[in-house]
Amino acid sequence: MSENPSLFGSGLRRVMHNKRYIFWFWLLNLAIAFVGTTALRESAHTILDHSLYAENLTQGFHLSAYLEMVSLPNFGASAATISPAVYSTLFFFVSTILFLPGVLLGYSSRYRLPREDFFRACGRNLWRFIRLLILSGIVMGIIAGVLFAINGAIVKGVAENTNEVLPFELRMLGMFIIFLVMTTLRIWFDLAETDIVLHDQRAVRKSIGAAFGHTFRNLFRLLANYVAVTIVAAIILIGGIWIWNRFLSAESVLGAFVLSQAILFFLLIPRFWQRGIAVSYWQQKMLAPIVAPVPVFNTSPAPAATLPDLSPAPAAREGMA
Amino acid sequence: MQIRWKVVLVLIALVFGVTAFLARKTATAAPQSTAPAKAAMASAASTDTSLSIPDTTIAVNSSAPLSQRVVHYEINAKYDAAKHIIDATEVLTYHNLTGQPLDHFPFHLYQNAFQPNATWVREAKRDGSRDTAYDKWEAKEYGSEEIRSIEVVGQGDLTSQLHYIAPDDGNKDDKTVIDLPVAKPIAPNAFVQFKIAFHEQMPETQARSGWKRDFLLGGQWFPKVGVWWQGAWNCHQYHATTEFFADFGVYDVKLTVPQNEVIGASGVEVSSVNNPDNTKTVTYHGDDIHDFAWSVSPRYKVRESTYQSQSGPVKLTFLMQPAHWDQAERHERVIRETLDRFEKWYGPYPYKTLTVIDPEPDSAAEGMEYPTFITGGTNWFMPDGVHLPELVLEHEFGHQYWYGMVATNEFEDAWMDEGINSYTEVKVLDSILGKDKDILNAAGVSMGEREEQRLSYISVADRDPMAENAWSYYNSNSYGGVTYGKTASVLLTLEGIVGEDTMNKAMRAYFMKFRFTHPTKKDFLDTIQEVSGKDLKSYFDQAVYGSQVLDYSVLSVDSQPVNWYEENKDTNKDKKEKKGGKDDTLYQSYVSVHRKGDFAMPIEIEIKFDNGEKIREHWDGQSRWTRFSYVKKAQVVSAEIDPDHTVQLDRNNFNNSYRVEPSAKATYKLSNYWTFVSQWVGQALAWWAV
Repeated sequence: MSENPSLFGSGLRRVMHNKRYIFWFWLLNLAIAFVGTTALRESAHTILDHSLYAENLTQGFHLSAYLEMVSLPNFGASAATISPAVYSTLFFFVSTILFLPGVLLGYSSRYRLPREDFFRACGRNLWRFIRLLILSGIVMGIIAGVLFAINGAIVKGVAENTNEVLPFELRMLGMFIIFLVMTTLRIWFDLAETDIVLHDQRAVRKSIGAAFGHTFRNLFRLLANYVAVTIVAAIILIGGIWIWNRFLSAESVLGAFVLSQAILFFLLIPRFWQRGIAVSYWQQKMLAPIVAPVPVFNTSPAPAATLPDLSPAPAAREGMA
Repeated sequence: MQIRWKVVLVLIALVFGVTAFLARKTATAAPQSTAPAKAAMASAASTDTSLSIPDTTIAVNSSAPLSQRVVHYEINAKYDAAKHIIDATEVLTYHNLTGQPLDHFPFHLYQNAFQPNATWVREAKRDGSRDTAYDKWEAKEYGSEEIRSIEVVGQGDLTSQLHYIAPDDGNKDDKTVIDLPVAKPIAPNAFVQFKIAFHEQMPETQARSGWKRDFLLGGQWFPKVGVWWQGAWNCHQYHATTEFFADFGVYDVKLTVPQNEVIGASGVEVSSVNNPDNTKTVTYHGDDIHDFAWSVSPRYKVRESTYQSQSGPVKLTFLMQPAHWDQAERHERVIRETLDRFEKWYGPYPYKTLTVIDPEPDSAAEGMEYPTFITGGTNWFMPDGVHLPELVLEHEFGHQYWYGMVATNEFEDAWMDEGINSYTEVKVLDSILGKDKDILNAAGVSMGEREEQRLSYISVADRDPMAENAWSYYNSNSYGGVTYGKTASVLLTLEGIVGEDTMNKAMRAYFMKFRFTHPTKKDFLDTIQEVSGKDLKSYFDQAVYGSQVLDYSVLSVDSQPVNWYEENKDTNKDKKEKKGGKDDTLYQSYVSVHRKGDFAMPIEIEIKFDNGEKIREHWDGQSRWTRFSYVKKAQVVSAEIDPDHTVQLDRNNFNNSYRVEPSAKATYKLSNYWTFVSQWVGQALAWWAV
């Protein structure tokens, strides 16, 4: 076995060994969205269920019928119908913050993490993650803002160019660069999150500092893995929607539900895969060596040992005690 | 004695002259007052017999003029492409066919609209426009049109007599109409010739005129005389929502532009001569048209072909943006198919040319009509299933009929060009691209043009009537929703009332009767009544002259056993199950229909029963509600108002029907979409933020 096995493969193995996390996050994602869209659904029931005109939405999808429906006064104000759906997306985001420490701990463990350990890690790291979220939000927000502003200025600068496609090409190029930069930042904060959980690091700034150094020392390796996984995500999304459009009839409501949920289920995997990569990297590169006490009567040096690849971090175990 | 009489005559003339002057000062472009007109008749300028309007037919497939030609414009213009400036001379010969002497002539100076205090900009800032919101004023948006000199042949230089007028809103800062009193009134049937020198600063494109990068659309670019219509000068200010109105005539236009420019214009190209100063002068001639537009860009790619119309060959010229060259065939295909249908349904296209401009991207030059000259609108990325280029091109070509030939007053009756054109647009696009998918047909999502027109109307359904001055609508949305969307919906609904064949005959009759004239709304509505043989006054009063809203709904549907009072009766369901699906119970059924809106018109209702029987009912729609009653061995399954879907004016299509057994299929389908989007957004947020 290689000392530094492929991050790509080991990250995926962690996800596959802990498939239940994907399932629970998908279920949470679905449940929250289902509740969030209740107002929309109830409004639609009142307008559509007894109307023959609703067939314009089942036999194909007539956009005009949809637009007419949402513009009707009895559909309800957008604040009342759409806002809950928007809040539900935020709720999933908050849920992710809450449960992510448990996932990271689970990924570092060779064995199935007990439920109580999972939730203990979640509770123990919640405030740390919130602090990290604020910091990362500031850093990523500022950098994203600056990059988008620069991209916008460049595109605006060529807006009067007679090559009509040039602004689009530059915007796409800019978006790709922004994507790489933001992915780099994401790697940085993913490693910081991993370090916080697996080192049981109270001082968030120490994890941020350590993660920063590792991110930029191994940027190409980490970035290549993260980008590859993002490409997988894009393939899942685009391929899934293509299948939906190509093979499902417009009238197949159940089929559309099953396929759409399958897309969303598989779409969760890449992000967790990136987490698995971060945990693998942490265990390969960021885990501090444990030095055994050296007996004074023995002149031979004690072997320095790292934890086995898939065992929980001692610090983490200590934290769970 | 003789001297005394001369003094008396001079005094009388002076009194009438002063009266006429005062009348003009107060009424601006209003009709000339009768008394001074009669007096002026006596002193009208003698007819210059050397003047005339040419009876050429160079630009039309006809051996004789097609219109009553009132004007002849001879313009010699030079375009400075670097400064976007036009310097030109204009010789306008006007034939006074008004039946009375004319002592003043109002002219449109449209480019003056693009100034901060002009009525156009004020209204656009207040009500919005499709071009710019004028959040801040930018120098490049400035346009101006200045008459540097004007001479009336035989009466000398009258430049000092020019004065701006604002007949619509009295805005003293608006310079879009200028009035010229003439010393000697022009007698009935006489000709008068104006020699004008003018200077134009074209703005960055606004209202489908101006420059963008190295492109120029020369629309509304020269001083244009008003129209004597219904006994008065009709020369309105340029408003944010108004278009144009002009007399038919002949245009001879020489355009001097840099040699590298590719040029297209109204009419036929007569000659092109290269000049020593790296410019070229291209000469165009137009017959039986009422405006002249042109466009230049050094980057146009040209596609030419010939269409064989009923009147003769038509040269089709497409000036395409380089990035859109792969769409040139798509442009030509929709133009040819549209021409086919217009000629077949409404009447012949008589002109020898049609020039289609693919304007500069991001310019406010997309989607505009001028005689024999239109602008389209597309993008370098335009999937086949998105039919926006077809929509724009069909619409603008339609204006060759409803504006170009049937030249209604776009200031006062905008619905008669935009709305009638939107109606024929629905018909033509449905025919070419298919009903319900002629705007969008991609990725399982479709949208039809007739529904798009209806949607734009129902959003402003109770705001304004169709019969309204274009500048008097509440705002630009109301103007658009009513003049385009409501008119199309009104005429589609009318088609359901009189029948599609009758409506087609009426439209053809209207075109053939009123082409090359300035018909009124009464002309149009009378034609439909005459052809259909129906009294449509009530419909027109509500639909055209009123702002009533049409909304019928099925209020309730109910079926109960007649002998419901008998004890130990099984439920309906039990009965059916017991008898193997056959139900011998006699039911009393009621269907109630409600007129929710204040627009009343007869409607059809179809009631379906569970034994497969269908009954069609007719209701005059005059009372607020009505109830239909049935005693049958069957229960009502559903009731539907307007089962043939001809009433496009109904504000709410969802309440037009009621099915007793609900079906949540559509709701679940939408719910799935909403849930999917909500989940995906949540995942994306979590991906990047944590």
